[in-house]
Amino acid sequence: MPAIETAGLTKYYGQRSGWPGFLQGRFRPSAPPVRALESLDIAVREGEVFGFLGPNGAGKSTTIRLLLGFLHPTSGQGRVLGLDMVRDSVAIRRRLGYLPSGIALYDTLTGEQLLDYLGALSGRPAARRAEWSERLELSPQTLKRLVRDYSRGMRQKVGIIQALQHDPELAILDEPTEGLDPLMQRAFYSILDTLKAEGRTVFFSSHVLSEVERVCDRVAIVRQGRLVALEEMAGLLARRKRNVQIRYDGPPPRLEAVAGVTNVRLGDGRLNCHVEGSMKPFLAALADASIVDLTVEPARLEEAFLELYHEAEPA
Amino acid sequence: MNGALLRHTWRLQRIRLAVVSAALATWGFLLPVIYARFGVQFGVLLDSGMLPEQFARFGGGDVFSLEGSIALGLIHPIAIILTSVFAVGFAASAVAGERQRGTLEVALSRPLSRQVFYVSLLGASLGFIAIAIAALLAGSVSGATFAGVAGELAFATLPLLWLNSVLLFGAFASIALAASVSFDRLPPAMGCTLGAVIVMYVLEVLGSLWPSAEHLQPYSLFHYLRAKAILTGSISLFDLAVLLGVIVAGMSWALVVFPRRDLAAPS
Repeated sequence: MPAIETAGLTKYYGQRSGWPGFLQGRFRPSAPPVRALESLDIAVREGEVFGFLGPNGAGKSTTIRLLLGFLHPTSGQGRVLGLDMVRDSVAIRRRLGYLPSGIALYDTLTGEQLLDYLGALSGRPAARRAEWSERLELSPQTLKRLVRDYSRGMRQKVGIIQALQHDPELAILDEPTEGLDPLMQRAFYSILDTLKAEGRTVFFSSHVLSEVERVCDRVAIVRQGRLVALEEMAGLLARRKRNVQIRYDGPPPRLEAVAGVTNVRLGDGRLNCHVEGSMKPFLAALADASIVDLTVEPARLEEAFLELYHEAEPA
Repeated sequence: MNGALLRHTWRLQRIRLAVVSAALATWGFLLPVIYARFGVQFGVLLDSGMLPEQFARFGGGDVFSLEGSIALGLIHPIAIILTSVFAVGFAASAVAGERQRGTLEVALSRPLSRQVFYVSLLGASLGFIAIAIAALLAGSVSGATFAGVAGELAFATLPLLWLNSVLLFGAFASIALAASVSFDRLPPAMGCTLGAVIVMYVLEVLGSLWPSAEHLQPYSLFHYLRAKAILTGSISLFDLAVLLGVIVAGMSWALVVFPRRDLAAPS
């Protein structure tokens, strides 16, 4: 059973204020509907770290808010942990942890009071608070200070702890490393590794592609509310082009007609090109060339991402 | 209702509640003392015709009797402003304020339905109002005792007066919460509620001072606070029913609108 499953999930803003029909638009101007999400079909497997990628306004937060029951779908449906996301919203939230992007906290409480309050609302013991606090280097003394005195990074750490302290089956994390320094980002990734090893599911929304590449098993990429790609991370990277740089003596190697090689650029004893798929034909073509140096850069998700975006660009 | 949410709300509001209750108790204390000290002189002044007769029935209160002075204490702008800290300020910001700050989604990502969230906050509002009104009446009883006029007071009527007052300000709280769940930002929720309270107060005062405007008074919820009548032994169940009806109407609106609303990401 998938941890999260959506079918034709669609959301248009501006169609639902919640006010009774006869009052709709009477006190507030009714704007034309804006498409936020169009027919999203994804299935997140249990126990995987699932990356949800896209630039600002692509529909990432809308999807998350639909899954949490903050928004009502215009059409389509979704199931979270086997439960209907509209009908069983409260039961779903009992079993998940959520970190919103740019989390807002109660400034007049101490970190400890805040975690106690949110833990009590969860209705489950905060069994893992001490563990996550230690790993994120948030000491008990720090937790006794008022939240309003916290730095942005400390707020984010409290946000991560509140989402995970009750050991949820599913964690939905929206831009979780926002504001964390590189050391704390590492600590956070190790927490994700622990969760993954324990079979917890993590739905991870981000636009920091390097961290998605580092932690996710699969990624979905959304653009203007539509799903552009849903792939295994390894597969996505494997079929991406590699950046190759060659320094040579004498005549340049002839690569234009070699299978998988594109974008060949020559200049001043250097050759740059892209290689896609198997390296065998490329290496064979270099056999007779006088190569001084050869650099092959591994494919980065950024490039895969940008390429997918380029492909999905409307004509 | 959700116990954790109630405890959290209590923790955040307890100092404000203590300050408001102390101020209301002090205000409640003063009016019986003023009545005991100056009531006769005010009576003579009124009988002489130097003061318009309408001043004797401002908002249903006066300073010529203990009942009148307690009623005046309840309908006076000072008491209304102080009680409105919870009936309007707290209630209007309970949902819209959290929404504007972005903390609403942190709370609602817990296993808490919007109905339970709303009902808990309505319960908290009514609780704060009940304590504040009790402090005002306790102050009045203390003032009457201090001034040596407690014998004029029918103590058995006080619980009903407390109920009538709680229902009045509870009705405002219900309106405020209904506005609070209907808007994404605090200013429109606060503005709607404050506007309603001010207009109703003007209608009530206008009707009590100007006979030609008396027909406007039934449109004001303040008209259904019959403090002096209750203290003199007269009970109108209709008045209580009207206030209760407004509370129920506000609840109904909120319970229909809030769960159906889209809570988009805070901007």
